[in-house]
Amino acid sequence: MIELRELTKRYGDRVAVDRLNVRVQPGVVTGFLGPNGSGKSTTMRMILGLDAPDHGEALIGGVPYADLSWPLRSVGALLDAGAFHPGRSGHAHLTALAASNDIPASRVERVLRVVGLSDAATRRAGTYSLGMRQRLGVAVALLGDPGVLLLDEPVNGLDPEGIRWIRNLLRGLAAEGRTVLVSSHLITEMALTADRLVVIGRGRLLAETTVAELAAGHDTLEDAFLRLTAPTTDHRGTETS
Amino acid sequence: MNGYGFRQVARMEWVKLRSVRSTRWLAAGTVVAMAATGAGVGLGYRWHTPVATAAQILNNSLSGAILAQLLLGALGALTVTGEYGSGMIRSTFAAVPRRRTVLAAKAAVGGGVTLAVGLAGSLAGWLGGQLAIAGTAIPTAPLVDWTNLRPVLLTGVYLAATALIGVGVGALVRHSGAAVGLLFALLFVPSFAVGLFGESGVAVGRFVPLLMLLNSIAVTSPMAGLFAGWVSALVMCGYAAVAVLCGAVLLRHRDA
Repeated sequence: MIELRELTKRYGDRVAVDRLNVRVQPGVVTGFLGPNGSGKSTTMRMILGLDAPDHGEALIGGVPYADLSWPLRSVGALLDAGAFHPGRSGHAHLTALAASNDIPASRVERVLRVVGLSDAATRRAGTYSLGMRQRLGVAVALLGDPGVLLLDEPVNGLDPEGIRWIRNLLRGLAAEGRTVLVSSHLITEMALTADRLVVIGRGRLLAETTVAELAAGHDTLEDAFLRLTAPTTDHRGTETS
Repeated sequence: MNGYGFRQVARMEWVKLRSVRSTRWLAAGTVVAMAATGAGVGLGYRWHTPVATAAQILNNSLSGAILAQLLLGALGALTVTGEYGSGMIRSTFAAVPRRRTVLAAKAAVGGGVTLAVGLAGSLAGWLGGQLAIAGTAIPTAPLVDWTNLRPVLLTGVYLAATALIGVGVGALVRHSGAAVGLLFALLFVPSFAVGLFGESGVAVGRFVPLLMLLNSIAVTSPMAGLFAGWVSALVMCGYAAVAVLCGAVLLRHRDA
């Protein structure tokens, strides 16, 4: 389980994440939704101890991330599709990270097969397409067979086959009793993947709900999402004519 | 089984270091540059009159370290800045939240590897010089003689220390170009600045890296006023420790 308590992050006088109180339960896929710049990625970085909160805390199974004995075996994360050295092969990237948490080398081969990168494993990761980079990131997340998974915009850059693969993968992981938190700004994709939804805007919690509840009373889920987030959307385009 | 520690993190850093091409190029460049300098020096002295001394050949054939210190310093800096530049650092800190353990492992693995490469380069410089004077009247400088072996070994230590300064500088500035630039400034600018001190220049100069290298560490007997070679090498190790510690202090509180 992931628990956020009064989680707050400021950059200068801009509040990126504002007293967020959320519990993410195991056994279901939780969609983490919000417009661009709403604080989703900042929240995920704080859960992983990469950014320090100004106030409040983020706990994984009751402890801060930094106190985990074997972080990769407890929490798997896909932060962005570029968190690797472009000159290193996918295989070496996974082998290095596995070594840090005493994860056996057989897991490296296993996750490469799961994400479909076995054939490209010895190529330098800098030569991968965006979809392959996402797959490498997912392989890192799965490496330690963790009970908690955090994925920031995992479908970015994936083709339709890849999107469906991610969707089934995440639902399967949740069905095994794992905690799965997936961020996205694509409500339509989340409607197909997530059971529960956590919606934020300008760093604040707007709703903690289910897909069905959010859609109730609106023509489409997209309408419901736009209605909910409208007051907190910062950048809005207009029609050309 | 009670959690990861230095051993696991050092293994990660070892895999990382040997799986990028820059490591191989910079290590090979170090050995080749030093061998070529040594050979060049030897060839230059072949027809020199009066006949060169063994010390002259040895001292000068190690001067490839002037270039090698930049190559290995860059290697050290890249172990840190390469991760910041690519975003790899977030994967690293997610796997190992104790950041000072990461830096300690980078310093240990990077220091060990660059010591081996530095010693290989230093030996290559010596060998290049000795081979180039073969068959002439110039006396050889066999390494069974401690006076000859000492500068060869200490030059290797000096080069590993510059790599560690690179690791520390890399952690401070987190940008490859800035780190290499700062390293270049730290290694070269002070030796020019010493001239400003006039008479008391030597008192300052004996703490300056490049002057220590050329007049105390990589020579059979130090220039008057400078420390003994091993003391100068220790001073360099002190600089390296300070650089890595400064990096460790800043690493802890910054957002990755």
